Amino acid sequence: MPGVIETAAEVSSRRRSAVDVTRESLDAISRGDGRVRAFLEVTGEEALTEARDVDRRIAAGEDLPLAGVPLAMKDNIWISGRRATCASRILEGFRPPGDSTVSARLRRAGAVFIGRSNMDEFAMGSSTENSSSHVTRNPWDPSRIPGGSSGGSAAAVAARFVPAGFGSDTGGSIRQPAACCGVVGLKPTYGRVSRYGLIAFASSLDQIGPLTRNVADAARLYRVVAGLDPLDSTTSDAAVGAPEEALGRGAAGLRVGFLAEAEGSGLDPEVAENLENARRIFRDAGASVVSVSVPRATAAIAIYYVIASAEASSNLARFDGVRYGPRASEKDLASLYLETRTAGFGPEVKRRILLGTFALASGYYEAYYGLASRARQLLCEDFDRAFASADVIVCPSIPSPAFRIGEKTDDPLTMYLSDIFTVPASLAGLPAISVPSGLTRGGLPLGIQVLAPRFAEEAMFAAARALEAGAGFPDALPAATT
Amino acid sequence: MPSSSSVVTPEVVRQVAALARLRLPESELSRWTEQLSRIVGYIEQLRQIPEEAFAASRSAPATPARDDVPRDGRGAETLEANAPRRMHDYGVVPRVVGSGS
Repeated sequence: MPGVIETAAEVSSRRRSAVDVTRESLDAISRGDGRVRAFLEVTGEEALTEARDVDRRIAAGEDLPLAGVPLAMKDNIWISGRRATCASRILEGFRPPGDSTVSARLRRAGAVFIGRSNMDEFAMGSSTENSSSHVTRNPWDPSRIPGGSSGGSAAAVAARFVPAGFGSDTGGSIRQPAACCGVVGLKPTYGRVSRYGLIAFASSLDQIGPLTRNVADAARLYRVVAGLDPLDSTTSDAAVGAPEEALGRGAAGLRVGFLAEAEGSGLDPEVAENLENARRIFRDAGASVVSVSVPRATAAIAIYYVIASAEASSNLARFDGVRYGPRASEKDLASLYLETRTAGFGPEVKRRILLGTFALASGYYEAYYGLASRARQLLCEDFDRAFASADVIVCPSIPSPAFRIGEKTDDPLTMYLSDIFTVPASLAGLPAISVPSGLTRGGLPLGIQVLAPRFAEEAMFAAARALEAGAGFPDALPAATT
Repeated sequence: MPSSSSVVTPEVVRQVAALARLRLPESELSRWTEQLSRIVGYIEQLRQIPEEAFAASRSAPATPARDDVPRDGRGAETLEANAPRRMHDYGVVPRVVGSGS
């Protein structure tokens, strides 16, 4: 299965039809997804109908930047006519009233929606083990997690079922699984991509973004979905610019800041070695490599679990058995709420709701939510200072390669620390991209992140492309699919 | 730094669960209390940030407000389409007023 740009070029020039490409993707899924289990649902018939429409539009002379590109879509993004359940029992059978803004823009650009990809329930998790449906496996080693929460989309791209997928990133849910699966994962600036039709987890953090095989494909998808949307008042009118042209700029003259707080004695030796290699790549590419400090990055997980859980407890209050999903009791209204929520949410979602409700409760609010909000602002100011001496900031995406399935399920706090390198950019609203940067001696992917100031995605793409070129990550099919 | 075990007690977890409309079986209460205590204990590290650091901080920029312009919704039928119980184009819930409430 070729990548996004190649597929769109083939379909646009009518060397291949969108229907052929869609069939190839469906065949790859039917051959390999029994092992990987990236999808909650494959919507083949609908995808073929969309592909036929794309072929008609191409024949009519339309210029479509994503002509016939099959996509895996995380199960929390609305697509007209498909279900969207957040991999939760509480939204079983839910059909959204239409397309999300992202889906509408992708559809307009000629994309085809192959299916709903697996995720941690309500995007809460780092391993996709919290799905109410099943566990997705890492195509590089089926005994390991694909990362999360967008683990289904990451695994589907890594296994070459689709050229690309979409996920959502609240504290690393695109970048962390991308790193675990050896693919590119992009979280745009907060406010860059509309969340209309994204089922909300933590509204001051959530962003939608692509998972792809290479940086150029990510830039193409980003260009299609980015920009102001009247349906999401947090979107910005800042110019999107020319992300695909920025790819060719290279890193020469760029000030690349390595995050001091991400280095040191606690780092996994292979991750440290990989980071050292990234430093060499940037130096060789002519960048000016410096060290930058973001002191409050070390507090990011503590800040995040207060803010994100508090927002989740508010956002998930709407799931009560009245308007959607299965209803667990008809006895009286109080039982309807209590029984529906108790039966509908899984353990991790309950844990976050309890934590968030605690942080917002009278008597605790200022001591937890208030304090975390003020600490978050300090972290943002730390980044502002760091960006005075660097155009982009570089750090690992994951503290260690993908862990084994079941290894951390009994220890929520250790699981939360999997996101230690991704959460800072989320809290500060910065764009960040994870680039596959090498393999461990055991053959597992590692990723390096490039962060940029808010709305400076072009510098991020330039640096990420230079890193990708230097890293030379293998374009080989992972073991499970061969 | 206060010990988290003094903050998250079984009674606090019970109260928070009631606020969140979640039922936690008594048999699981100690496990929930232990897990939440550990997480809250980790969060307590934020108290180590010196107060002077906050004094020098700016306040977070507000999200710009958009104009409140009415637009067509998708209609009641679309909103009701996912309701678990419907009758005469309305979603149905258990009686909340009058006899039997």
